Amino acid sequence: MSDHAYVPEIATSRDGVEHEVQGWQGDFYGGKLGFWLFMLTEVLMFGAMFMVLTYYFTLHHADYIDASAGLNRVLGGFNTVVLLVSALTMGLGLLKMRSGDVKGAKLMIWATIFFAFLFLGVKAIEWSLEYQHGVFLGLDALQSGNAHSKPFGQILFFGMYFTMTGLHGFHIIIGIGLMLWLLKRINAGLVTPEHHILHWNIALYWDLVHLIWVFVFPYFYMIGADAGGYHIPDIGSLFGGHSNEH
Amino acid sequence: MSTNAKVDYQTEKGGYYKVLIGLLLLTTITFIQPSMFLTDATFVVQLLIGLIKALIILFYYMHLKGETLIGWTVSFAVFIVLFFFTIVIYDVQNFQFVDESHISSEATSAGSPTAGHHSSHSDTTSEHTSAASHEATHSEH
Repeated sequence: MSDHAYVPEIATSRDGVEHEVQGWQGDFYGGKLGFWLFMLTEVLMFGAMFMVLTYYFTLHHADYIDASAGLNRVLGGFNTVVLLVSALTMGLGLLKMRSGDVKGAKLMIWATIFFAFLFLGVKAIEWSLEYQHGVFLGLDALQSGNAHSKPFGQILFFGMYFTMTGLHGFHIIIGIGLMLWLLKRINAGLVTPEHHILHWNIALYWDLVHLIWVFVFPYFYMIGADAGGYHIPDIGSLFGGHSNEH
Repeated sequence: MSTNAKVDYQTEKGGYYKVLIGLLLLTTITFIQPSMFLTDATFVVQLLIGLIKALIILFYYMHLKGETLIGWTVSFAVFIVLFFFTIVIYDVQNFQFVDESHISSEATSAGSPTAGHHSSHSDTTSEHTSAASHEATHSEH
């Protein structure tokens, strides 16, 4: 604990008078606000991708629903629950840290890492199954102009699906790295119940990853969940445009 | 700030479990909705459920409740995203470049030389994404 004792930086003026430089180490709120600003850039990035997704969806309703109907909702749903539970373990870990139970906090972080790997494992199985069915980036089905091409709207759907779930998976991998780093810092006594901004921000990051999945999952997996004879409303018509409902 | 204060784990953990149960319930609704209710509006319902889940996560797991400054910052960012969503959706509904575009009907038919491989449902899609059928469908409604 004493390893992390705050050591003020001293600046000496020309006349030899020492002044304590205002430190930022104890600025909990500043650290939190800065991380929120970073997360907003993430929201803007994924927001732009969702906008592209919506743009194509508006143009290719039926293709999107057909493509969505082909996704594995069992594995996608399982991963949704895995992320949900991992958000709980991460939150409880932070709570344990704040209440002074460092050992319990570390245990919860390890549990979160386990769920993160579980998510990636299930995602890998899911992608492998899709690859075996000939649906993967670079395969003929997702290239236009050949004998095995899927309808253009489906090519766009799967292009966005692999891009967005891939980027999300990349965030999961980064999250695992951050949690391992956090454990290292905790073990080194650099993150303590009194000084836990790093733990706080990594928990925020993990919640953001969960938050993105909350929208990724229904948008890709659920819009075609009942493709047999159900009709999806033309979302564009909500804004007064043409209806291309099928 | 109060969020940096020491807390009692036993007192606070109940809130986390309540949020978990709420999120699990909403996830269950996500799964059963397409075959149970409001089946004509699946997309809108699904995103609304997602929105409710997102707000719960933001307020409780991400401790946004009571955070005035960060709350307004987040609200502003979300507003910007929704603003551009609205503009883009309006724009695409009044799409003027169908003939030139690679993301609309011309490219669709060019990119799908094997219509026989697809279901009649998909074929209907191609027709519906053409400008002519846009108008035809619109007139049906």
